[in-house]
Amino acid sequence: MNIELKDIHFSYGPVKALDGVDLSIGEGACGLLGPNGAGKSTLLRILLGFLRPGRGEGRILGRDILHDQFAIRRLVGYMPEDDCLIPGLDAVTFTAYFGELSGMPRQEAMKRAHDVLFYVGLGEARYRLIETYSAGMKQRIKLAQALVHDPKLLFLDEPTSNLDPQGRREVLELIKDISSKKDIQVLISSHILSDIEFTCSNVVILNKGRVAAQGEIQALKQVDYSLYEMKIKGETETFIRSLRQGGCRVEETEEGLLKVYMPPGLQRDGLFRIAARENIQIRHFVRSQTSLEDLFAKTVGVD
Amino acid sequence: MPISEQGYRHWPGTLVERRRPWAPITRLGVKLAFKRKYFKFVLGLSLLPALIFSVGVYISEKIEDFKFMIRGRSQFLTVDPAYFKAYFTSDFLLFMMVMIMVLAGAGLIADDLKHNSLQLYFARPLRKRDYLLGKMGVLSFFLLLQTLLPGLLFFLLKLIFSGSLKFFAQYPGIPLAVVVDSLVLTVFFGLYTLFISSLGRNRRFVSIMLFLVYIFSDIFFGVFFGIFRRPVFCLLSIKANLQQVGSALFGVSGPYDVPWIYSALILAALAGAAAFVLLRKIRGVEVIR
Repeated sequence: MNIELKDIHFSYGPVKALDGVDLSIGEGACGLLGPNGAGKSTLLRILLGFLRPGRGEGRILGRDILHDQFAIRRLVGYMPEDDCLIPGLDAVTFTAYFGELSGMPRQEAMKRAHDVLFYVGLGEARYRLIETYSAGMKQRIKLAQALVHDPKLLFLDEPTSNLDPQGRREVLELIKDISSKKDIQVLISSHILSDIEFTCSNVVILNKGRVAAQGEIQALKQVDYSLYEMKIKGETETFIRSLRQGGCRVEETEEGLLKVYMPPGLQRDGLFRIAARENIQIRHFVRSQTSLEDLFAKTVGVD
Repeated sequence: MPISEQGYRHWPGTLVERRRPWAPITRLGVKLAFKRKYFKFVLGLSLLPALIFSVGVYISEKIEDFKFMIRGRSQFLTVDPAYFKAYFTSDFLLFMMVMIMVLAGAGLIADDLKHNSLQLYFARPLRKRDYLLGKMGVLSFFLLLQTLLPGLLFFLLKLIFSGSLKFFAQYPGIPLAVVVDSLVLTVFFGLYTLFISSLGRNRRFVSIMLFLVYIFSDIFFGVFFGIFRRPVFCLLSIKANLQQVGSALFGVSGPYDVPWIYSALILAALAGAAAFVLLRKIRGVEVIR
């Protein structure tokens, strides 16, 4: 396992941020999802060694998070969410500088900075001052500084924020390339679920400081519940109420489509029986391909 | 195949644990300072007193040749502890040190706060003290360039121009006083600058604060001294305290009739408070937001 956490607790004063987090993250890219206040940032802070958990233990790439923080930081690359730069520096000096701070010899860091900048698509702009970069270029330079020392594990915090669709696609392709072919493990914290779905094979969903779900995205989508979409004619409110009484979770879209999350015990015919009882005509009924949004909404209990 | 199409490649080297992890921070800070507008001019100007005092050392050994210029004021060209004290406590030198701090030091932490780069530093194997030492190194480089280097140079020039070790035998404590006073000035001004730089995210605000605190402390002294006529108010002034301590280190009586130890304690307290706040401030932002 690349990341293993056991019973991690952390509080900001009286506020519990993490409440007994147990995690096992293996190979490949993993998404870190959760609503605001779920504890994602706190978890990343603990993984990077910025914060010391109140209780619990953990290992990253075999290193103890409590005692081997420096070793961990050498093996980990971190791309923060905020724009980060040092004014007056061009991209190549900036990237080489952080390579050097990671422990690379000076000349090696400079050579490597050139390579990495070409890789992230900033090769032609590498001698430009970073403060003159566009939002998309700033995202790329952050990725470059995270990659410069060739980390084994990459933490990406909202890697596609502030990007236009084209830039977003390109950055996602880079992340996918890194995680799928370059034996670098990636942990992506993002609010954009489609980004996670595109780049990651695994996901950890945090809610209220606890792990609400974790595992392979495909498996999670199939095992936990069934999702059906239907269009009906009749008294919608009464029908929805009856479905909820039967243990279903129901969402109504703006187009009048009902998304019904079936609990594990309830069979498909149960829906029809409820519809018949309530004099409801079902005009459209399809088993939905569950998306990560559905999984997220189901797990966290938000739309 | 063009390099852009080669894709990601692993780096075959090994990361090393640096003995001086702060050194890259200092190197970059010095390099960036030289890129600042007017910096080279101000640095050159700040070294002007060193040049003049060096010439003074030369003239002091050739006093006969320059009699026509000196016209009976040869006491100003006697190289002794008072000569060194005059350099180290001169208003102009201290003012130029503040100028250098404004240009090279104001943004050292403020820029990192403004541009969120602290989290990049602390995602590396860097301790808080490495970061602060690196930033302090930038200031130390320039401040020692204005103090330690000229001080030792005067001493060496005196020995070279006199052609004997008589001066050393006469004043063996001067090199040590030069080193200690340079360190006092550097450590105090370094912590003072980093402390104020950590208080804001705006370099201009920090620059103004660096000036105002230094200038106003002296103005307050002047005002209170004007009203009460008591030299003890010199303890309010950063400049006066540095001059008092500098004079004492060179074994010369200070400009104000106040025990120099009070000034030393005030400077130590200010530096200690600055270091304490700095450590807390840097800890406070050492997070991912």
